[in-house]
Amino acid sequence: MGSVLAASAPSPPPPGPGAPGLVSVPPGFTMPPVSPVSAPSSSPTGQQDTEPPLPNPGGFEECHRKCKEVFPVQMEGVRLTVNKGLSNHFQVNHTVLLSTQADSSYRFGATYVGTKQTGPGEAFPVMVGDMDNTGSLNAQVIHQITDKVRSKFVFQTQQQKFVNWQGDTEFKGEDFTAAVTFGNPDVLMGSGIVVAHYLQSVTSSLALGGELVYHRRPGEEGTVMSLAGRYTGSNFIATLTLGGAGVHASYYHKANDQLQVGVEYEVSTRMQDTSVTFGYQLDVPKANLVFKGSLDSNWVVGANLEKKLQPLPLSLALSAYLDHRKHKFQCGFGITIG
Amino acid sequence: MSGKKSEGKSGGVTGWISSACRFAADRNDFRRNLLVNLGLFAAGVWVARNLSDFDLMSPQPVT
Repeated sequence: MGSVLAASAPSPPPPGPGAPGLVSVPPGFTMPPVSPVSAPSSSPTGQQDTEPPLPNPGGFEECHRKCKEVFPVQMEGVRLTVNKGLSNHFQVNHTVLLSTQADSSYRFGATYVGTKQTGPGEAFPVMVGDMDNTGSLNAQVIHQITDKVRSKFVFQTQQQKFVNWQGDTEFKGEDFTAAVTFGNPDVLMGSGIVVAHYLQSVTSSLALGGELVYHRRPGEEGTVMSLAGRYTGSNFIATLTLGGAGVHASYYHKANDQLQVGVEYEVSTRMQDTSVTFGYQLDVPKANLVFKGSLDSNWVVGANLEKKLQPLPLSLALSAYLDHRKHKFQCGFGITIG
Repeated sequence: MSGKKSEGKSGGVTGWISSACRFAADRNDFRRNLLVNLGLFAAGVWVARNLSDFDLMSPQPVT
């Protein structure tokens, strides 16, 4: 008669040393734990996140612009300006200036803005000109030739004679700006002025550049070179220009939404003169008011008050300048309609 | 000899002080104006940087 134990399946024998297909481990040792193989990542290996491209630093002439805008503009006499828009592209203005120091004058100005839209609030070509009652003309033509190339021509006449004309071309790259200006070129006399500008973004905050001015007249020629650096912070801009003609340092600070402060330091080695100017601009949007004030090291105090008389299309401007050393006072009053 | 040495030393210091005073008082000296205005510029920048917390539009405390 058979046994129940005899019907069960036999157990497999324990693995012995040297068995094929198995790793032999000496007694007392264990295999180190092996982590599971991870799935391949979606991004290819070796690629790093690219840094954001450097911004365009703008034109060389704009280095000190922010600081200069804070200072009041000197105005003399009484100025009445009437602006009239004839269409979306054409605007004219009439300006009457009454002065006690210079001759009173009337100026007729016209502004044409073309249909080539390059950005918000930008359209080209732009033609701006004005002529006074004696026939003297001031005109500018600005045109965006390509996405990166912009050209400008400036003409000035004194009655029937051309006194100044210049043409410049500006190239705006991704992180640099280069410009060349030709002023009053005279091929027959072999005279003229050539100005070259270059500004390069080194970091997102720092821009470095240079300026080269070459002038030539019969029997005389010369060059003046300048180096410029501009550092832009979150709420300030510090700019320094060093050159053979002198030093120009400016510091612009936006204290808050209402107050902007600017400090300017200028040295002229040719004139052997130096000055410091401290200015501020106070904006009061609720009152449609802008106030500017300045004080310089020559004890000249300046002030400007501009107010828009809403809802009328009327702007009122008051200006005053007081030179304590020369005991000279100058004031101006302006009304702009339209 | 010691008197001469003391006199020379005193004269040097006095001369230096007088020349420094003349330099500081000479408004027509270009280098003097350069340094003074550089100091004024630094002071102006310091004032500008410390105006960040200044807000004219904030309500004034009731007294």
